[in-house]
Amino acid sequence: MSFAHALPVPTPWSAPYWEASRKKRFVLQCCNACDRLIMYPKRFCPFCLSEDLGWRDSAGTGEIYSITVQRAGAPTGFSEHLPYVLIIVRLDEGVQLMSRLIGPDAETARCGDRVKVDFQDVAGADVTLPVFRLDGAKTPANGSRST
Amino acid sequence: MSTHRRSASAAVVGIGEVPSGRFSDRSEIEAAVIAAREAILDAGLSPRDIDVVMPTGALASRHFNVDLVFSRLCEELGMLRSAKMNVQVMAGGGSSSSMLAVAEALVSTGAARTVLCLHSDKVGSLPRQAGIDLFATTGVSEEWEAPYGHNMNAVGALVSQRYMYETGTTEEELAAVCVSLRKWAALNPHAMFRQPLTVEEVLASKMIADPLRAKHCNVLADGASAYIVASAQDAQKMTKTPVFVRGHSSLVTHYTLSQDTDLAKLGFPEAAHAAYAEAGLRPQDIQLAQIYDSYPVFALIAMDALGVCGGERAGAFVAAGHTSPGGRMPMTTNGGMLSQGHTGAGGGIAVLVEAFRQLMGKAGERQVANAVNAVETASGGTWMDSHVTILSKEPG
Repeated sequence: MSFAHALPVPTPWSAPYWEASRKKRFVLQCCNACDRLIMYPKRFCPFCLSEDLGWRDSAGTGEIYSITVQRAGAPTGFSEHLPYVLIIVRLDEGVQLMSRLIGPDAETARCGDRVKVDFQDVAGADVTLPVFRLDGAKTPANGSRST
Repeated sequence: MSTHRRSASAAVVGIGEVPSGRFSDRSEIEAAVIAAREAILDAGLSPRDIDVVMPTGALASRHFNVDLVFSRLCEELGMLRSAKMNVQVMAGGGSSSSMLAVAEALVSTGAARTVLCLHSDKVGSLPRQAGIDLFATTGVSEEWEAPYGHNMNAVGALVSQRYMYETGTTEEELAAVCVSLRKWAALNPHAMFRQPLTVEEVLASKMIADPLRAKHCNVLADGASAYIVASAQDAQKMTKTPVFVRGHSSLVTHYTLSQDTDLAKLGFPEAAHAAYAEAGLRPQDIQLAQIYDSYPVFALIAMDALGVCGGERAGAFVAAGHTSPGGRMPMTTNGGMLSQGHTGAGGGIAVLVEAFRQLMGKAGERQVANAVNAVETASGGTWMDSHVTILSKEPG
């Protein structure tokens, strides 16, 4: 299948993440041997090299570790998405991931703002990407921003 | 690479470089042999004195990269049946420091007598979108990041935002890095951009990825550079101007940008600490900083960690003009990737070669007077690693 922009190509060990996402569930890989969370999903636990790995439901809440609004110079297939907001999320569980911030006020959000997971189907492809929205009250550290 | 003080075991004895820019008529191999020939002659050697050829990776043409892997340089430069080994060392933008570390190890153990380190590429001649797409794959995960539209300018932007959030650095201070580099590039005939630049012009340029505007971002360039490494003992017989490798350290902090837990510092504090310890030198012993830039924030992160800003925040230090020509801590005197041009893995090699050039006293109009010790930094991919190298006119 050809598609206008990059799509995830799941591995055998990441497939449950993408399958959950299609069902609008956000899950994190975990190690049953050492009880650590693993991001991104891996073949072996990167902490103890165990292959006894499982999955845990996540509330998908956390804060923006960093953020940018991409306004020009997008990779092929993403020009029609411009402007789009790229974020690194630090989840409450402690692990981090890259995603997009969507919804009201996304372009004016800042580091430290609270976010919650949502899901976005990729048009024309059997893929659902975990994305994030701003979650409720602003954190005090960002009180100077007009709301 | 122990972390205790010791005298240098390796030194650089010759350098070569071609101008950076867009040169559609200059092939990668032509640029490569021009730079290599210049370095060999600069060292007072002949091609058959080189026993290891160490090209780094080229990104624009797969065929040229494969040529580099498979000994084309040995054939082009007359080294057949004299060169012992042709081996590629590739760490993206970190190749400068990585190659030097590998070459240092080879000459210090006697496994090699002379190592020719070289880069040539033509990323500047790629169509604009092809350049964006190429650098949206260098250290960007196909599965986890590319589907969101991640790309290299976003890397610079995401690190800038976190750094500004934690340190209070301003967009004007980021722009001041570009201005400082441009002042040096005005004195560098190999630089792609030499016309004067102001903070106001940077801040008036088109927004690309907040807070980075077009003139905060590097421009891809064609280029080539080369240097030759020998043992410290041999080097002193070969040339009157050896540049000794006094200390090096580095730390890998991520593959995907999102897995770095300290984007405002990366691995530079740890690398700087260990490199100074190995060199037996302190920040106040450094007179020259050759800093891998690619985006202004990375110069500031490195300068903060190196302790060469007199206790000031790096952004304020640069904005005050201290890193510009005539300033008390000259920084990236070739103009860096933001003004000399980003040649791929070679952007950092040009910065490293400039460190050698300055300490050899061969920097012409932009020569920094009385510099004895210099610090160089580099990083590859999406700033996956943080390298700090201490160089000196003195063996220690």
